[in-house]
Amino acid sequence: MKIKLLGVLFLTLSAAAAGAYDRSVLAEYNDLYKNGNYQAALDGYMEIAAKESYNPYAFYNAGNAYFRMNKPGLAILYYGKAFRLDPRDPDIRTNLEFAMKHTGQTFVPEGMPKALHYLYYFFSDRELKAVATVFWWLACLLLSIYALKETLREKLRGVILGAGLILAGAFLWSSARSSSLFSDAAVITESSTQLLSGPGETFKTYATLPEARLVKVLDDTDDVYYEIGIPREGIKGWVKKTSAEKI
Amino acid sequence: MNISIPNNFFRIIRRPAVFIALCLCAFVPQSLHASFSISAETDKQSVEINDSLYLTITVSGDSSSVPEPALPQMNNFNIYSSGRIQNISIINGKIATSVAFTYILTPRFIGKQKIPPISVSNGGEKHVTPEIEVSVVKAAAPAQASQPQNAPRAQAARQPSARAQAARQPEETLFMTAETDKKTAYPNEQVNLTIRFYTAVPLTSNPQYVPPTFKNLISEDLPPVKNGETVIKGVRYTYSEIKTALFGIEEGQASINPASVFAQIHQGGAVDPFDPNFFQQFFAMNSGQGETRQVTSNSAALKILPLPEGAPAAFNGAVGNFTFSTEPDRREIKTGEALNLSLTITGKGNLKTLIAPKLPDMPDFKVYDTVSSLNISKDNDVIGGKKIFTTVLIPKTEGRRTIPRITFAFLDPATKTYKELSAGPFELTVEKGDGEGQNVSFAHGGQAAPITPISSDIRYVSDRTAAPLTGTAAGRISAMPLWLNLFPVGALLLSLWLARINDFRLKNPLLFRFRKAHGEARADLAGAADRLKNGRPKETASILYDSLLAYLYDKSGHKVSGLTMRRTLALLKEKFPDAGEDALNGIKDLWGKLEALHFSPGGATQEEARDMLETYTALLSLLEKEFKKRG
Repeated sequence: MKIKLLGVLFLTLSAAAAGAYDRSVLAEYNDLYKNGNYQAALDGYMEIAAKESYNPYAFYNAGNAYFRMNKPGLAILYYGKAFRLDPRDPDIRTNLEFAMKHTGQTFVPEGMPKALHYLYYFFSDRELKAVATVFWWLACLLLSIYALKETLREKLRGVILGAGLILAGAFLWSSARSSSLFSDAAVITESSTQLLSGPGETFKTYATLPEARLVKVLDDTDDVYYEIGIPREGIKGWVKKTSAEKI
Repeated sequence: MNISIPNNFFRIIRRPAVFIALCLCAFVPQSLHASFSISAETDKQSVEINDSLYLTITVSGDSSSVPEPALPQMNNFNIYSSGRIQNISIINGKIATSVAFTYILTPRFIGKQKIPPISVSNGGEKHVTPEIEVSVVKAAAPAQASQPQNAPRAQAARQPSARAQAARQPEETLFMTAETDKKTAYPNEQVNLTIRFYTAVPLTSNPQYVPPTFKNLISEDLPPVKNGETVIKGVRYTYSEIKTALFGIEEGQASINPASVFAQIHQGGAVDPFDPNFFQQFFAMNSGQGETRQVTSNSAALKILPLPEGAPAAFNGAVGNFTFSTEPDRREIKTGEALNLSLTITGKGNLKTLIAPKLPDMPDFKVYDTVSSLNISKDNDVIGGKKIFTTVLIPKTEGRRTIPRITFAFLDPATKTYKELSAGPFELTVEKGDGEGQNVSFAHGGQAAPITPISSDIRYVSDRTAAPLTGTAAGRISAMPLWLNLFPVGALLLSLWLARINDFRLKNPLLFRFRKAHGEARADLAGAADRLKNGRPKETASILYDSLLAYLYDKSGHKVSGLTMRRTLALLKEKFPDAGEDALNGIKDLWGKLEALHFSPGGATQEEARDMLETYTALLSLLEKEFKKRG
């Protein structure tokens, strides 16, 4: 059993290692960034991000390039993507917070202790889902053994209870996160984006949204418009999909 | 240069808390704590356009190293580093360092010129010098010129060919050359690069010089700029010569990229550059009428040679020609007191990169941090000077103690041989000290200076290539199709069903025997048929006999082998009251025959066994029907 587990771990590690791209390629792009050639560096970072959708650093670097190119909306978009993949990374958190502050937004909601905010975002959405999946399988497996092996029931009770609690915790945490700022979020990427009262040009314009504003996507089924909500102001409306990008 | 560590400063680090605190201090960047000041001055307030002035920037601080000043962009001067002089002193446990950075400034324009504020920062603290104003005046007539290089200019001006040169096209009249005095050198061996800018036409201002960039070389300016005149292919040129000392970093090819000069050529009437009143005429013109020209030098290459074999153990990369001396500041000392051991290296070579000679093991002493001071000279275009490494030693025990011989080795490039210089050993008389020893720390003594935020910015790009393992694994797991999660549910349901069956079986053993009886009897019949086919009738009969008794046991719930046939039939009749008499008689008949065959000495014949097999098969079918009539 132990050998099998080690085998699985080895395969996982190998898969992770295989995902890493050549360091010299990144160094080349970072040199471009260092020398102020942000567009060329960005093209490189986007190439890496396209190949490795799990790699938060490619998104982070792309966010940096956009920030340097004075495109705060796209910078926040890519910092947000990086943050959703690795919310514990201090560089990603710092730059996202910096960019949000730069655009008049707050990363840590007012009144919320920083430590609690950190804990709330300690695991990424994927990690929470993975934990729930693993413990779902584990709980089912343990229950099966519990049903079949009467002699092991005493020993298994505590383990099954623990697995069940973790599973429930992961579900609850995921549910709580669904209302977070970065869940189903989008960033306004164009300045003075019009917020309409319906999905079409014929509807009235409620308001104009500044570039880099984080909004909540309520419905994305329309071909041209997102239905979005702005929790802080308590309003919702429609914006063109070309004016906002989902994180 | 003064290095002294008074004895009453030190205390031995004996308590763990003190030791830990010192360790923590070691991890804190010194520059964050150290405070410093800066001052700047020039050697003169007024300078002639063809002269130069010295700018000395002094940075003083209370740590062993102070930051270098950052010179601002100065388009009105060409700047050359001229050297540095460092003084370091350790008094009452506090280090005081003062480094004077000297630069030579050559003015480019006449008039009031300003040296902008010069800043120096250690990352937190920043100091700025006030602006310095310098008056740049026209050059005096050659007869009164202070610069010796002006002499040949005056002499050459009398030559008739000079006027002709002024009319030449700029492409022909401006050029640069770059050449080294050696083509090969060892790492850290000095190579002098000479860059000359020639002009045969007057310039509207002193040209702006952009130094070359280097590969596999580090450079050190060799000011001042020299001016002169020469005749090349019949054309008289004035030239400015800039020298730079180069030091190879590592074995291999090194290259010198082209240097550039931006010069403004007067577009109006020609002014003879060799006229004694050249500068007066020249600056009388409107400089706004000049045309800017860029001239670049040729590139050059150097081969950095591998170091000769046979380097002694003490060799740590020093190349040049040095003298070495070592001296403890006292010979009589008490345990716990400190002495300063100074290692002085003087001579020609790249002292900036020189590292301290390795000290031998000194088990009788505690050996503390080493600080170094550096004075650089550039006399006769040779980089040299003096570097002093000071190490604090504290004797642990009393008695006669010895500081072993210390060796410094270097490569002399002139002879291509390694040379070893030694000093010591030094005998010390150590007496027993009183109480606590001394505490040695080169950390800043006072409270940590507050960090003053100046501005904020995003953090730099990441150089991490691989995604975090947890993120990758989580990504792969969460990417699994949702329906796969139904598998453990299926497995769980199957387990529950199996568990229930098992439980039922344990609770109803007879029922399960009853249900299995027919199947097992059929299996016995198949086994018996095999044996009959193989010509083993006796075994066939035995199997059939045992099978019949087992079948009746399973159906009746009583072990019939321990009962009489009559009793068995009575039990069957009782349990299956609707069973026909034919069935019971069939049992009676078959049981009797099988028993007779089973126990007869000769055993059954092939025919008898076949007959029994067929009878049992038919009876089994009949019994299954009859027993089902129950209930």
